[in-house]
Amino acid sequence: MANIFIDNSIVFLLTQIVPLLYIFTATLYGLHFFRELPQAGKYKQTALIVTVVTHVADLGILTTMEGYRLSYSAYNLMSMVALTLTITYMFIELTTKSDKTGFFVITFAAVSEIFTSFLAAQTTGNGPAFSGIGIGVHLIAAIFGFSSIAIAGLYSGLYLVLFRQIRLNRFGLLFQRLPNLEALELLIMHAVGFGFFFLSITLVAGVIEQRASAESINLLDPKLVTLIVIWLLYGISLFIRPLFGWDVKHMAVLLIALFVLITLLLFLMSLITPTFHSTSMIHVLTNHHLKI
Amino acid sequence: MNIISVGVNHKTAPIEIRERISLSEVQNKEFVTDLVSSGLASEAMVVSTCNRTELYVVPAMTEVNCDYLKEYLIAYKDARKDVRPEHFFNRFYCGTARHLFEVSSAIDSLILGEGQILGQVKDAYRIAAEMGTAGILLTRLCHTAFSVAKKVKTKTKLMEGAVSVSYAAVELAQKIFSNLSMKKVLLVGAGETGELAAKHIYAKNARNIVITNRTLSKAEALAEELGTNRVLPYESYKEHLHEFDIIITAVSTKEYILSEAEMQQSMQRRRLKPVIMLDLGLPRNIDPEVGKLQNMFLKDIDALKHIIDKNLERRRAELPKVKAIIDEELVGFAQWINTLKVRPTIVDLQSKFIEIKEKELERYRYKVSEEELRRMEHLTDRILKKILHHPIKMLKAPIDTADTVPSKVNLVRNIFDLEEPNQSLQ
Repeated sequence: MANIFIDNSIVFLLTQIVPLLYIFTATLYGLHFFRELPQAGKYKQTALIVTVVTHVADLGILTTMEGYRLSYSAYNLMSMVALTLTITYMFIELTTKSDKTGFFVITFAAVSEIFTSFLAAQTTGNGPAFSGIGIGVHLIAAIFGFSSIAIAGLYSGLYLVLFRQIRLNRFGLLFQRLPNLEALELLIMHAVGFGFFFLSITLVAGVIEQRASAESINLLDPKLVTLIVIWLLYGISLFIRPLFGWDVKHMAVLLIALFVLITLLLFLMSLITPTFHSTSMIHVLTNHHLKI
Repeated sequence: MNIISVGVNHKTAPIEIRERISLSEVQNKEFVTDLVSSGLASEAMVVSTCNRTELYVVPAMTEVNCDYLKEYLIAYKDARKDVRPEHFFNRFYCGTARHLFEVSSAIDSLILGEGQILGQVKDAYRIAAEMGTAGILLTRLCHTAFSVAKKVKTKTKLMEGAVSVSYAAVELAQKIFSNLSMKKVLLVGAGETGELAAKHIYAKNARNIVITNRTLSKAEALAEELGTNRVLPYESYKEHLHEFDIIITAVSTKEYILSEAEMQQSMQRRRLKPVIMLDLGLPRNIDPEVGKLQNMFLKDIDALKHIIDKNLERRRAELPKVKAIIDEELVGFAQWINTLKVRPTIVDLQSKFIEIKEKELERYRYKVSEEELRRMEHLTDRILKKILHHPIKMLKAPIDTADTVPSKVNLVRNIFDLEEPNQSLQ
C-alpha cells in the first residue's frame, strides 16, 4: 500500500519541517527563559506563529489534498494535541503578554510532534473514513480535552516547583521568572474547567455515536476507562475546591499524575496498536461509515 | 581645558569623615559660588549625599589642582583636625567623566543599583545651574551622565529586584499573590520597620491594610498617614487572623507573639487558603514552627536576605553591560571635548578667509555692477566653502588620543598663518 508521507514530496517536507520548527521555537523560548538572550526574546513569538501556521498547512494539505483522515491513530492525535496546546499557549501569550511558561508548554508540544513524526512514516494509506457530526465532535472534544489535561498537568508541575522554591528559600531563576502562585493556580483551575467540559462532550458524543451503531463498544478499553476516571476526578475537583477548600498543592499532584498516566497510555497504545480505540470500536466506526 | 574631580565617598573614607566633610544645600551654593567668583574655577559643582561629597571643577588657573581643591574644601569645612587629603580620591579629564557616569548610573553606590543617586546628581547640577557655576563643560558632562543613567535603567537590570528587607517582603508577597489590591494585610507593630513595610506594600496597590499596635494611637497615626484608617486593638487582633492573606509583624518582644496553635486554628478557619507571614522583628515575633503549617509561607529577616543576596548577585551580573554603556558614552564625550579644542581654530580659519574675500571684493566694488558683484560674492563663497571643507573636516575628525589635537591645530594654524588663539577659549 502506498505511503502518503513518502510519496508526496510537499507532505514529506512539511512533516519533517514541523517537528524541527517546534524544536527551534522551544529552544528560543528556553534561551530567553534561562539565559535571557535578547535575540531569542525578539524572535520567539515569530517562530511560534510560523510553527503554528506551518503545522496547520501540513494538516491542511494532508486532509484536503491527500484525503488523509486525521486522528485515525493515537499518534495523529498527539500531533493534534501539540497543535492545540501551542495554539492555546499562543492565545495565552498574546492576550496576557506573559511568556514565562512558553518553554514548558512548547517543549511538551515538540516532544509530542517528534513522536508523531517518527511514527507517521509507518502509516500507509488513508485509514478508515470517519464521518458524521457525532464522531467529529467526539474527536475534536477529545483533542481539546487532552490539551486541557496537558496544560493542567504542566502548570501543576510549575506550581509545585515554585511552591517548593519559596518554602525552601531558594530564590533563584525559577522564582524570578515564573508567574506567581496565584496566577498558576488560576491557569490550573481554568484548564480543569475546560478539561471537564471537553471530556464531558467527548463522552456524550461517543455514547451517542455508539448508540447509533449496531455493535457495542469495548468498555474495558484502557483509554476509555482512564478517560472516565479523569472526567470524574476533574469534575470532583471542580466542586470540592470551592466548597471545601481543597489544597491546590495536593490537587496539583493529582493533576500531574493524571496527565502522566494518560500521556503514557497514549504513547504506549500508539506503539501497540495503530488505531485509537480497540478493534470493536473501529468496527463500529467503519460500519457506521458504510451505512452513511 | 581640564575637568578635575576630588572628593570623599564610602570607598575612600569612613562615615565620620564623610559626615564631617558633607555640605548642606546652602553650603553647596555658597561653596560653588565662592570657587567661581574668586576666579579659581570657571565652572564648579558639588555632589553631596550621605555617602559622598565630590567636587567637579573646571579650573581657571593652573595653580588650582587636586591638592588645592582638597585643601580648599577642608578649610571651608574647618575640618583640618579630622579630614586629611588621603581621605580623598582624584580624577582628571576623562577619568572625571567616567566617575560621574559611574556615580549617576549607581554602580559606584554603597548598594549597587540604588535609585536615589541620580536624583541627587540632578540636584547638584540644578544648584550649580542656579548659581551660574555650571558652564558648557559641566552642563554637557551632567547631561551625558543623565543619559547614561537612563540607558542603564532601560537597557539593563541593574536597578531590578529588592535590596532592602521591607521591599524584599513585598517582592515575595507578589510572587505568591497576583493582585495585592485584593488581599487583606495585617500589620502588627507600627514602628519604623513596620511603617516602611506598610508603605512599600501600599505602593504596590495593597489598600486593605489593617494596623494593630500595643499603643493604639501610633497605629491610628500610621493608618491615617497611609489613608487606610483601619486599626485593630492589640488585645483582640488574634481573633481576626483568619481574615488576612498577608501578616507582617515588626514588634519589639522577647517572646513569640504568634504560636503554631494560634495559626493552625486560623488556617483551618480560612480553609487552608495560602497565607504569607513576614516576620520583620528581631528577635523573631512568630514561632518558626508556624512555617511548617500547610499553605503557610513564613519568612523572617534571614530568609528575606536570601532574596536580597540573589538580587544583588543579579545586579552584579549586569555590570559588564553598564560598563559598556559608560565606555560608549565616554568616547562620545571625549570626542565632543576635542571639538571644543579645535573650535577656536575653525572660527579663526573661517574669519581669515572671509576677511580675504571681503578685501578682494572691495577692490571691485566700483568696477562692476551691483548684480555682478553679488554674483562674484556668491562665487567666492562657494569656492571658500569648498576650500575650507577638508581642513575643517580634518580638524573635527575623530582622533585616537587627545595628544594629536594640538599638533593638528598647530599644523592648520601654521599653514594658514593664523594668529595665536585666545587662551581662555582653550
